[in-house]
Amino acid sequence: MAEPLISARNIKKHFPVGSGMLKAVDGISFDIYPGETFGLVGESGCGKSTAGRTIIRLYEPTDGELYFNGKNVYKLSRQEMQEVRKDFQMIFQDPYASLNPRMTVEEIIAEPLDIHKAYKNQKERRERVIELLKLVGLNEEHADRFPHEFSGGQRQRVGIARALALNPKFIVCDEPISALDVSIQAQVVNLLKDLQKKFGLTYLFIAHDLSMVRYISDRVGVMYLGHMMELASSEELYDNPIHPYTQALLSAIPIPDPEIQRNKQRIMLEGDVPSPINPKPGCRFVDRCRYAVDKCRQVTPEFLEVKKEHFVACHRADEIIEGTAKPTK
Amino acid sequence: MEKVLEVKDLAVSFKTFFGEVEAVRKISFDVGKKETVAIVGESGCGKSVTANSIMKLLPMPPAFYKGGEILFNGEDIIKKTEKEMQEIRGNQISMVFQDPMTSLNPTMKIGKQIVEGIIKHQGLSKEEARKKAIEMLELVSVPQPEKRINQYPHEFSGGMRQRVMIALAMVSNPKLLIADEPTTALDVTVQAQILDLMKKLQEKLDMSIIIITHDLGVVADMSDKVIVMYAGQIVEQGLADEIFKNPKHPYTQKLLASVPRLDMDRKESIHYIEGTPPDLYIPPKGCPFYDRCDFAMKVCKDNMPDAENHSKSHYSRCWLNHPYAKAANEGSEK
Repeated sequence: MAEPLISARNIKKHFPVGSGMLKAVDGISFDIYPGETFGLVGESGCGKSTAGRTIIRLYEPTDGELYFNGKNVYKLSRQEMQEVRKDFQMIFQDPYASLNPRMTVEEIIAEPLDIHKAYKNQKERRERVIELLKLVGLNEEHADRFPHEFSGGQRQRVGIARALALNPKFIVCDEPISALDVSIQAQVVNLLKDLQKKFGLTYLFIAHDLSMVRYISDRVGVMYLGHMMELASSEELYDNPIHPYTQALLSAIPIPDPEIQRNKQRIMLEGDVPSPINPKPGCRFVDRCRYAVDKCRQVTPEFLEVKKEHFVACHRADEIIEGTAKPTK
Repeated sequence: MEKVLEVKDLAVSFKTFFGEVEAVRKISFDVGKKETVAIVGESGCGKSVTANSIMKLLPMPPAFYKGGEILFNGEDIIKKTEKEMQEIRGNQISMVFQDPMTSLNPTMKIGKQIVEGIIKHQGLSKEEARKKAIEMLELVSVPQPEKRINQYPHEFSGGMRQRVMIALAMVSNPKLLIADEPTTALDVTVQAQILDLMKKLQEKLDMSIIIITHDLGVVADMSDKVIVMYAGQIVEQGLADEIFKNPKHPYTQKLLASVPRLDMDRKESIHYIEGTPPDLYIPPKGCPFYDRCDFAMKVCKDNMPDAENHSKSHYSRCWLNHPYAKAANEGSEK
């Protein structure tokens, strides 16, 4: 494979809270290759959004290294960071909250251009805005309107146009479709796919909708309580999940087919995700895992390549692959 | 099957500054005993208005019933007074809402909120009501109910709060439970727990369920019967198997094709529906899906087709069902 565009090494983001340390992201490592879509999934509170924000340094990392084109982004000064930021963009979840209601669409889309002084005169600025609007399936007449005049799907298009303004290489899409209606979701996802083809963009696609992530991503990472549990190509992860958490997560998704759904054996997880404040040592999933043994409580499993390009953090991964693992509860 | 609820030609509108918004336009359906009926559709299609009008929870004004009947146990809910409704709400028809974060009072202990309902509806003493509240929490599998009853909503996770909401709804063994997007705010593993719980309670308490959702996976998991709404009307209705295996209305077909499925080939592309639903200030005279339909014909623009039965339980409203269209068929004409 080619050189990775993004290499994350042992990234940590901890937040001090009243009762201790909230370890939102606690040492995750992965690579993202140019032109690919890397899906990051997990349930609320698993740290996937924090991971996305830490990667583009919207949050200062607690620890770790992030290589972009071979440079460690976390070591850059504020000024050097400005340059790199042109290549890093973000699309946010809530199209209602991420656009300033008092700015016109033109002002919103041109803001990154203004900051980086990416035009010579007003005419050029306007032209670029219109070009961007057309790219995302809107048109010139939308430029002078305000966000409230748009539907959710259209607003998300404005957000995408803003993210594209500086010709970025890498875009973090943080739940870009979860606030939208089903039929509109498909529109936005297909738009993202088209733009990727056109400009060779690389995406980090964060979402909790696993069916959509499977559809859009080339490789997928599964997070649980700040740790990366499993990482593999989309097909491999969904066809042969190894980590007991991934297995449970996938089996919980209802498939829109009554016949399959009636006959499906579900792995029901007991209880809720535990608190990320001062987590205990050992595997983060141990209390809800049906394969848990004593070792899982004591030693945090390493994130290892157990099959070709299939990484798992589980002590019993080999047994699970061979099918010899017996549930302990 | 014994019918618990019959909705006949229900029309609900809102009076606004700009004019009348016809949110629900003459819909009819019924819910049998122990049956689960799913109402699906995009935001603004009238599914929540339908649910709220069964409970008479719409603010009036601006909302008003424009016509039709809602028969519950043979009596018309629309004609009931507010006082009579208070007897029905919670006792015979209960509702679970989408957002468990905002539907509980944050300043009251969980126990007190349940006890309040029990005392009001069943006239038990405080001590008996407390016992019953613990029983209810046990019923919905909240661990350590004696301890949890003295906690506040913020000490509960989203899934646990939704369990409390369901416990509240179950207090007086309602005949009908209306669940308005009950799992939309929850994670998939928690969603699976809640759906499972609802099915178990239905079995145990002989209850009927109306579930409103936009998640077709949830529909397939839960429902016996499916109602597809679009722009305030029912465009297709049938048994779950009929709707998923043999959708007849182009909107239903497109809706099913627009969600990626875990079991589909990743190289297959998902289809999307161009455009957005029509504005209901001035609803279109003809088929409301006309602008977004691949098969739209001249006749669709100004004439709404009648329902065509495909089986005893399955019908759709589309001109493609018409014998002339069938004869011409196979091509699309716009």
